[in-house]
Amino acid sequence: MAALSASGVTRRGLAWVVLGAPRREFWSRFRKEKKPLVPETVEEVKEKPILVCPPLRSRTYIPPEDLQSRVESCVREIFGSSVPSSWQDVSLEDGHLKFGLLSRLADDLGHAVPNSRLHQMCRVRDVLDFYNVPIHDRSKFDELIASNLPPNLKITWGY
Amino acid sequence: PAQALRGRGPRNAGPTLGARLFAARSRFQGLNAVAEEAVPQAAKPEAVGSAGPQEPVLRRCELPVPAPRRPVQAWVESLRGYEQERVGLAELHPEVFSTAPRLDILHQVAIWQRNFKRISYAKTKTRAEVQGGGRKPWPQKGSGRSRHGSIRSPIWRGGGIAHGPRGPTSYYYMLPMKVRVQGLKVALTVKLAQDDLHIVDSLELPTSDPQYLTELARYRHWGDSVLLVDLAYENMPQNIVAATTGLKTFNLIPAVGLNVYSMLKHQTLVLTLQTLAFLEEKLLWHDSRYTPLYPFRLPYRDFP
Repeated sequence: MAALSASGVTRRGLAWVVLGAPRREFWSRFRKEKKPLVPETVEEVKEKPILVCPPLRSRTYIPPEDLQSRVESCVREIFGSSVPSSWQDVSLEDGHLKFGLLSRLADDLGHAVPNSRLHQMCRVRDVLDFYNVPIHDRSKFDELIASNLPPNLKITWGY
Repeated sequence: PAQALRGRGPRNAGPTLGARLFAARSRFQGLNAVAEEAVPQAAKPEAVGSAGPQEPVLRRCELPVPAPRRPVQAWVESLRGYEQERVGLAELHPEVFSTAPRLDILHQVAIWQRNFKRISYAKTKTRAEVQGGGRKPWPQKGSGRSRHGSIRSPIWRGGGIAHGPRGPTSYYYMLPMKVRVQGLKVALTVKLAQDDLHIVDSLELPTSDPQYLTELARYRHWGDSVLLVDLAYENMPQNIVAATTGLKTFNLIPAVGLNVYSMLKHQTLVLTLQTLAFLEEKLLWHDSRYTPLYPFRLPYRDFP
């Protein structure tokens, strides 16, 4: 057993001595091939588009002065020229037309009809009434503070 | 009108479950094909900002809507970009998304969900179980002290508890199936009425970064906690799974896991179009079913 192991070690030692230099060159070739691959993959990852969040919007909405003309022009664009003079009574039954009009108005005015009130928008008149209502982002406390209070009423926000 | 309302029952020789599901899925593959055509366009960097006018994703109610009522509607949104908030318009069945706001049923179902799984393991020993106390400590008369029969009676220090918790108690009870179904319908109604419901064409994200999802929710004013519901556990997109595992307040569940407690716990609910069809079919079947002749867990031919 000992003799066999000794011969094995010596054989291995001789083999190591004989093949040491060429083996190092053999493995170094593989190492050199691997190195240029790594930076290529890193560059490919960086080429993907970086998604940047657009700036946060506030929920305040103040109806513009020319709201009615804007809505009328959108209606004429979406529905085409076949719109009667009573454009406010045009019904929004068709999904394509309703979607087109409401998304166009939302992109235009920066304020969309919420899900809970979509089913109430049956006619263009309803849409117009919706967009005529201003929306403030203030809490009730801020509104009270901003409004005219009697002199003996004070509101303190202690948080 | 009554026949229009009564869609199906155990006696109707309608198509089997598999055929109906296949038909629903193929219909939605038609709708999702429009959305999936948009995916390779959005993946290219130059087309991210300029998606261009695309066909809106319009979803109609498959199940019949009773005559005087009209479907409720919701925007179909997309998670693929921050700005893609109005990709289409979905019609929702009024019996599911616009029922009476029964807050008492919501309370019943939420309390049931908390309690029916509860087993309280509290147990105390009575005077019979406390070690010792078999012998009368002193004779009845003559010692001047008050009379006692054992040292472990409840009035003694170290004695047993007279009316304490006795052993594992189970608080299991079942509400009727229709009450639980109505609870789900009311919860969905309340979510839609309070603008906390969002319909999405599919839960595919461009990255698996959890920060993308949080920023998207912040940009769209969704709220602090979001419950995302996909159709089945098998086909969930990898990106959304990876993003939600990292987040505590954004939770992803399959459609069968939708429950009233989770809907009330999370501020926002996000459903996909397939989940919507699944829920409407399952919840509306109970309106017009016969009473079961044998339990529903055994096979029925037309159980949805």
